[in-house]
Amino acid sequence: MEGMLLLIAILLPAAGALMLTLMPWLNERREDRCLFVGAILVMECVVVALVALDGQRTLVLFKMTEQLPIALRSDGTSRIFSAVMALMWTVSGFFSFSYMKHEQNEKSYYAFYLMTLASLMALTLSGTMVTMYLFFELMTFISVPMVLHTRTKEAVAAGIKYLIYSVAGATMGLMGIFILTPNISSAYFVEGGSLLAGSLTISKDAFLVVIFITLVGFGTKAGMFPMHGWLPTAHPVAPAPASAVLSGVITKAGVLCIFRMVFYVIGADFIRGTWVQWALLGCATVTVFMGSMLALREKVLKKRLAYSSVSQVSYVLCGLYMLDTMALDGALLQLVFHALTKDALFLCAGAIIFKTGITRVEEMHGLGRRMPWTMWMFAVCAISLVGIPPLGGFIAKWYIAEGALSTGAPVFSWLVPIVLLISAILTAAYLLPPSVSAFFGGMADGEAVSALPKAEPSLMMLVPIFILSLAILLLGIFPNFMIESFTRLANALM
Amino acid sequence: MEGLTLLAAIALPIAAGALLPVVRWKGRAARDAYILCLTILTTVLATVAIFGNFPRLSLIQFNDRLSFALKLDGIGRLFAGLIALLWPLTTLYALGYMRGTQKEISFFAFFLMSYGITLGIAMSANLVTLYIFYEMLSLSTLPLVMQKGDSGSIRAGLKYLYYSLGGAAFAFIGLVYLVYFGGTTNFVPGGLFRGVAVEHTAQLRLGYLLCFLGFSVKAAVFPVHGWLPTASVAPTPVTALLHAVAVVKSGVFAILRVTYFSFGALVIRASYAQYIPLALTCFTIVFGCSMALKEKHLKRRLAYSTVSNLSYILFGALLLTGQGLAAGLLHLVFHALMKITLFLIAGVYNDRAGIHEVGELHGIGRDWPVLSAAFALGSLAMTGIPPFIGFISKWALAQAAVLSGGLLPYLGLTALLVSALLTGIYLLVPSTFIFIGRRPGNAPGTKPVETEIRISLAALTALMLAAGFFSRPLVDFITRAASGLV
Repeated sequence: MEGMLLLIAILLPAAGALMLTLMPWLNERREDRCLFVGAILVMECVVVALVALDGQRTLVLFKMTEQLPIALRSDGTSRIFSAVMALMWTVSGFFSFSYMKHEQNEKSYYAFYLMTLASLMALTLSGTMVTMYLFFELMTFISVPMVLHTRTKEAVAAGIKYLIYSVAGATMGLMGIFILTPNISSAYFVEGGSLLAGSLTISKDAFLVVIFITLVGFGTKAGMFPMHGWLPTAHPVAPAPASAVLSGVITKAGVLCIFRMVFYVIGADFIRGTWVQWALLGCATVTVFMGSMLALREKVLKKRLAYSSVSQVSYVLCGLYMLDTMALDGALLQLVFHALTKDALFLCAGAIIFKTGITRVEEMHGLGRRMPWTMWMFAVCAISLVGIPPLGGFIAKWYIAEGALSTGAPVFSWLVPIVLLISAILTAAYLLPPSVSAFFGGMADGEAVSALPKAEPSLMMLVPIFILSLAILLLGIFPNFMIESFTRLANALM
Repeated sequence: MEGLTLLAAIALPIAAGALLPVVRWKGRAARDAYILCLTILTTVLATVAIFGNFPRLSLIQFNDRLSFALKLDGIGRLFAGLIALLWPLTTLYALGYMRGTQKEISFFAFFLMSYGITLGIAMSANLVTLYIFYEMLSLSTLPLVMQKGDSGSIRAGLKYLYYSLGGAAFAFIGLVYLVYFGGTTNFVPGGLFRGVAVEHTAQLRLGYLLCFLGFSVKAAVFPVHGWLPTASVAPTPVTALLHAVAVVKSGVFAILRVTYFSFGALVIRASYAQYIPLALTCFTIVFGCSMALKEKHLKRRLAYSTVSNLSYILFGALLLTGQGLAAGLLHLVFHALMKITLFLIAGVYNDRAGIHEVGELHGIGRDWPVLSAAFALGSLAMTGIPPFIGFISKWALAQAAVLSGGLLPYLGLTALLVSALLTGIYLLVPSTFIFIGRRPGNAPGTKPVETEIRISLAALTALMLAAGFFSRPLVDFITRAASGLV
């Protein structure tokens, strides 16, 4: 059956999660469990690669009613998102094998971890708006237990906040889906959009309001202002590898939905030059700036990283909402590099917590001498996130800024590059000092620090971080193959 | 006379119910078997009536304008089918649930009688017949609300009675208008005034509005919804079947009848007689959900959710388009499936674990994982998450609203979305706590759950889930039933 592979990509991790739940003997010893989860994750990567190589496919699963097909689709967009998500998930999964030793409820963690991956894969492979909405909601519900994992009061409050924000955002998106459906020519996604702009059921002005609300709604998952409130609360309370994927990967699910709505349903031309584009760009730039400012003020490392995600994911949205091929290139590059970088940074934070129990930034003085490898990689990621060449973050920001300038859009063509620059300075201000003080801090009372024992984590934790850091470096130096394929996609969409 | 099957389906449970207290029962098993067999027999008769194409059965001719007559048409078949499907399953549950309680016999007597009367509402061929059964339903369900016999139940029962009788009085005035200007109360697809020059439009519109307000008491539209949350003191099978399906949907059904079969869309379209009811339903949708959010008592919260959902159905129907009516009918069926499941599970929590308030649900999922999973699935369906049934009907309602256009439909669409969000909060948050919380140490232990309850809940949950994937025959049937009425 054509497109069966798409179904396998979703069912494989789901089956893994079910087996973990239903076969207790598989989940009894840590070695068995890790081996099993690891095997599933690696197999999933292979399947995702096969799906990507297979070209464009559509698979109609069933029809709820005649107008409501539930369908899967693999295309250029799904290829990028599913590859990033599966890889991040695998790397963080391997990291958690050691990390989760010091957490409770290890058994249920992996089942939800795999289930969330399944729902994410389904989301990337969705072929219609309703399918996308279905898996968007599903992903929310399945990922809540990861936030709730520690079951502390704080975690429960954060989980409920996450749930309510997500459902609210999804509801706003659903409104758009309701009103868009009679106005599009195909229930399935179409490159470049399928809006019947000539014969709208309501006035164009009202329609633009609907589109704005829809995109703000889906922006909730991406942490875009004004629906960002849940993100800094929810991400840090999860165990570190879960924070890593929540922050590095799940935020991208919001971006994916916006991407699909803008380029596969509404069409970029309908939004370009309207107040909706300016308003969304406004929200995104505000978020970039605000996220960085809040990160600067925050002293707890994981929370600081979460605020940083608020800012960095909105870079992607800035690039996307410029509605320009080059800026879109930049947005996709930023998406890839932010996923890699934020994942690695959260894993570093996890390694630090695991070995030393340090959670606050000012306690990191002299940490570089206790865990040099970890802190070196932390520094590399920080530099990439700031956007210093030759690391990956630079090339992404460059494309977004240049794309913004080339559009000649009023105000935003120069405002976006300036805000990106300011945010880069702020990023430097909140990430580089901890890295510097880790290596050079505590010189004065050097003896006290050097007296502390070495705390380098095991290879099981170091290697995943190392792979991510190496990817940031190599992809930053050789980004051409990515840029080519992103440009192809961007040209097809606009 | 062929049409007697219709009468048999109505008369059998009424007679059987009346016999129940008279007969001296040897043992519980015999009595339970009698109740269950007769309920199933009634369902069989009702099924025959639904699938057979029986002619109109005219029983009594009061005068040249008023008669007592039975006939099943499209929407009657739908309602009768829904009732016939859910009644045996709830009876099975009730047999387990009510075991050993006081006044068990009188409970089942009235429960059986209500079955026949509700079928009567579905099978009425004219408004007078419907009105008679409607009043009978108020009376036959009154003892069920007062079942517990404490002061709270008595008060709830009286409130229910006053609301119902008051509403019926309103409807009666509307009925007089109809007979006077229309000359008959027979149900005619599209209304009595279809294809004729309508005179006295002003009076007819007023009459319709009175009918709507009168019947909206049972459909729990704001401001006459008050009795429904109070009536949740009744035993759970009653709250689940009567106050989420049979009684409240009789109100909805009566409104559908007067809208599409008596006064007709032609008379009321684009006038205050359409706008006022539409505005009331939009408001009730949001109001019901907000009250549900505020309410801490689990069964009352579900009752407020019913208030909101009944107005979904009416909102769809009052759009006065074929699509809107079809969407409303779809929600009538789907809401019944979801809400009865949720209520019956809440009943188990209530009675077998001593949980009354939402806050006490914490951690109950550890004791009853499967039951609680069913509750969570029901909550997801109520919120309207695909691929569950709640999404299909909400989707249809939203599409009908968007296609009909205009201020009130869009207002209704917004109300639907706000309500979906609030439902997400007031049902999904408790569902989360069911699994992650911990039971307090001093909480009463859980009692075993009877097999009857398990079977009935399993069947209902399976039905609810399956309907999401195989809804096409139902959607086709409803589309056929709704076509040609506007």
